Amino acid sequence: MKQIDCLTGQDLREMFTAATSWLEKSVQDIDALNVFPVPDGDTGTNMLLTMRSCVDEAYRAPDHSTSAVAQAMARGALMGARGNSGVILSQIWNGFARGLADKESFAGSDLAVALKQASVMAYKGISNPVEGTVLTVVREAAAAAQEQVNKGGTDIISVFEATVNAAAESVANTPSLLPVLREAGVVDAGGQGLFTILEGALRYLKGEVDQMQFRRPQIIVSNISSGARLPQALIADEEPFGYCTEFLVKGKRLKPEKIRARLEKKGESLIVVGDDTTVRVHVHTLEPGGIIKYATSLGTVHQVSIRNMDEQYQDYMELQKERTPAGDIAIVAIVAGDRLADVFRSLGATAIISGGQTMNPSTKDMLSAVDSVVSDKVIILPNNKNIVATANQVQSVTKKTIEVVPTVTIPQGVAALLAFDYEADLEVNAGLMNKARAQVRSIEITKAVRSTKLGELNIKKRQPIGFLDGDMVAVGDTIITVIGQVLDRLDLSKAEVITIYYGADAQPAETEQVSKSILERNPQIQVEIVRGGQPHYHYIISVE
Amino acid sequence: MKGSFMTVKIVTDSLSDITSDVADELGLSVVPVYVRFGEEVFRDRIEITTDQFYHRLTHDNIWPTTTQPTPNDFLTVYNKLADETDEILVVTLSRKLSGTYESALHAKGMVEKNCRIEVIDSQLVVMGLGLVVIKAAKAASNGASLDELVDLVHKAMPRSHSIMSFDTLKYLARGGRIGKAQGLLGSLISINPILTLKDGEVTPLTRVRSRAAGMDYLCNYVADISKIEGLAVEHATTPDEAGKLIERLSPVFPEGKIYLSTVSPVIGTYVGPHVLSISVLDGE
Repeated sequence: MKQIDCLTGQDLREMFTAATSWLEKSVQDIDALNVFPVPDGDTGTNMLLTMRSCVDEAYRAPDHSTSAVAQAMARGALMGARGNSGVILSQIWNGFARGLADKESFAGSDLAVALKQASVMAYKGISNPVEGTVLTVVREAAAAAQEQVNKGGTDIISVFEATVNAAAESVANTPSLLPVLREAGVVDAGGQGLFTILEGALRYLKGEVDQMQFRRPQIIVSNISSGARLPQALIADEEPFGYCTEFLVKGKRLKPEKIRARLEKKGESLIVVGDDTTVRVHVHTLEPGGIIKYATSLGTVHQVSIRNMDEQYQDYMELQKERTPAGDIAIVAIVAGDRLADVFRSLGATAIISGGQTMNPSTKDMLSAVDSVVSDKVIILPNNKNIVATANQVQSVTKKTIEVVPTVTIPQGVAALLAFDYEADLEVNAGLMNKARAQVRSIEITKAVRSTKLGELNIKKRQPIGFLDGDMVAVGDTIITVIGQVLDRLDLSKAEVITIYYGADAQPAETEQVSKSILERNPQIQVEIVRGGQPHYHYIISVE
Repeated sequence: MKGSFMTVKIVTDSLSDITSDVADELGLSVVPVYVRFGEEVFRDRIEITTDQFYHRLTHDNIWPTTTQPTPNDFLTVYNKLADETDEILVVTLSRKLSGTYESALHAKGMVEKNCRIEVIDSQLVVMGLGLVVIKAAKAASNGASLDELVDLVHKAMPRSHSIMSFDTLKYLARGGRIGKAQGLLGSLISINPILTLKDGEVTPLTRVRSRAAGMDYLCNYVADISKIEGLAVEHATTPDEAGKLIERLSPVFPEGKIYLSTVSPVIGTYVGPHVLSISVLDGE
């Protein structure tokens, strides 16, 4: 393992130059995450522009000492800061440089001190700090760095690694702190940006320059469950966002604190950072004019930027449209059971409606799901015989183009979803999915709710019963025998994969037994066990 | 001597997956990329065989990386060829996957002999690139000029397709994201992803549930093409399966030679040891 005890100013600028290129690859992904404070989709871009200015200035440092380079970088970040996230980032650099003041070179412990300062300054610039954002990420990352140093870590890479790992965890946790992220199903964009910068710098330190060329940073996926709603559904009724107003004031004896107090009530997301000669202001306001007028009374005003955020928001929605997992086609699936819903989401379903046997959703439920997705083209997977007809109604109440792939079981739904072709259009996909649906066999096992006679079958209450492709075909004393009876009806010589989705009422030991009994009969088949958590059906089994 | 009397020499990189016997037969120069396991560096297929590479990929804990050839590697080849010809065509793998194109281009400016060199980013990789290079090499030996070859390669590029099927997302996940294939990660049931290269970037095509279904997909893909000009089958560690694919594909392409090769490490690090790939050059 590579070990580095000490780095110079030269190293500092080179690692963050590499980090800036690393960030650049991820800009669009980060832009697309951006829902807070305003979903205008520019966080990645703003952070990149800020970092560019930061590293450009690094090369203009008077000498190669750590303190000179860090100060130059802080100055560059301040001068080039763009947007909410950019200004906070510049404040992070400001603190970082303060932490490295007077250092010719720096060690792991200095890095921890600098990160701590960065975290303190980041909070300082903002009038109402919100957790679950880049602020939380920088604070937790700094704490991890210090902890590593306390443990006796002298190697910079180990300290940096602890920092980056903590940042990743912190980013993953942002949705649990900030509800708007949870609802949108994303992590915080600014936090992700900071993580990507730190990760890029670390990779550079570890000598992974070549890998960085053809890899791209990963967007952290939160394991906190979210609604599959997209931002459109979140803020449809809200007030206009107004104007994102930014500028730099240069003058003498400027007092950032005083400026902040003065602007406090003029708008949202206020950030005022800088020193007594240069102050950067960022605010979301409905009346930018008054703020600019006030600024001109303080000194000379530079880099004025007033952007209409409602317009940006529209552009952002267009961006979201392009990024919908399935190109411009959305897939709405009707699924019962949290885990099964996760399976569908993991395979690319855009929205899930909870429903199934005994809980059929209404046309209205489906319409609101169809409305909630960005795409104009929607494929619906009903996954139940009793829901197909309702799904077919949706087209008559929406302007969007709807294709219903009439899946009547969960395995059919999964097969259809898998067959989705990323490059094909709506019609072709509906065809492909329909074909795939017909190629899978579905077995469902439940218990009879009452005694009855159906054709040849005499069924007692609570007896296990088995369905094949939606038709009841077997009854028996145990679940295993019922599954055996259903499987006997199939030609398994061509089957390749059997997937067992076990329900909320299934026992783990019994599930093992089910899997074993299938394997004993058909050793050539690949059997996969998946927790479906579905109500009603103890087991849903697909044969492909 | 005038340029028109000389044969244009063709250069590509080892990620074209062109086997050494085919390269020798066609007089192609193949510049190897570097494969690195930790501190150990090897020249692809010269100092490390494909078998060794996949063995280490699956058995070592070290994540292998690949590095583009240096400009000097290209320069050495250019200088050597410049003794025999005054026109060289270089066709590299997609620059979205590697910096090889940049190295090849950089070296062009360093050649002192009087030799015209054209460098093309093929936006392709594996035998998708290989088939285009082979086509160019054949045309060169039939006397095509450099300008004609540049035109020929540009026209062939969009007609070349590579489709890969593999059975684990483990390597893809370990290597971070490649292109749009990120969407395949995190699936809660096991799937066999099918990838292709689109606009020079690795892109998901679809997913199937089993290896057999993956092979079916590859065969059906080829069978649906009305006119095939070139065809190649590749594997990583499963020659038997590659053999089966060739057997199944022969009736679809009875008049031509189906090239057999192994998938290059740069793709191999992502798709793992059980990849099967087919590359097709559509007929005009």
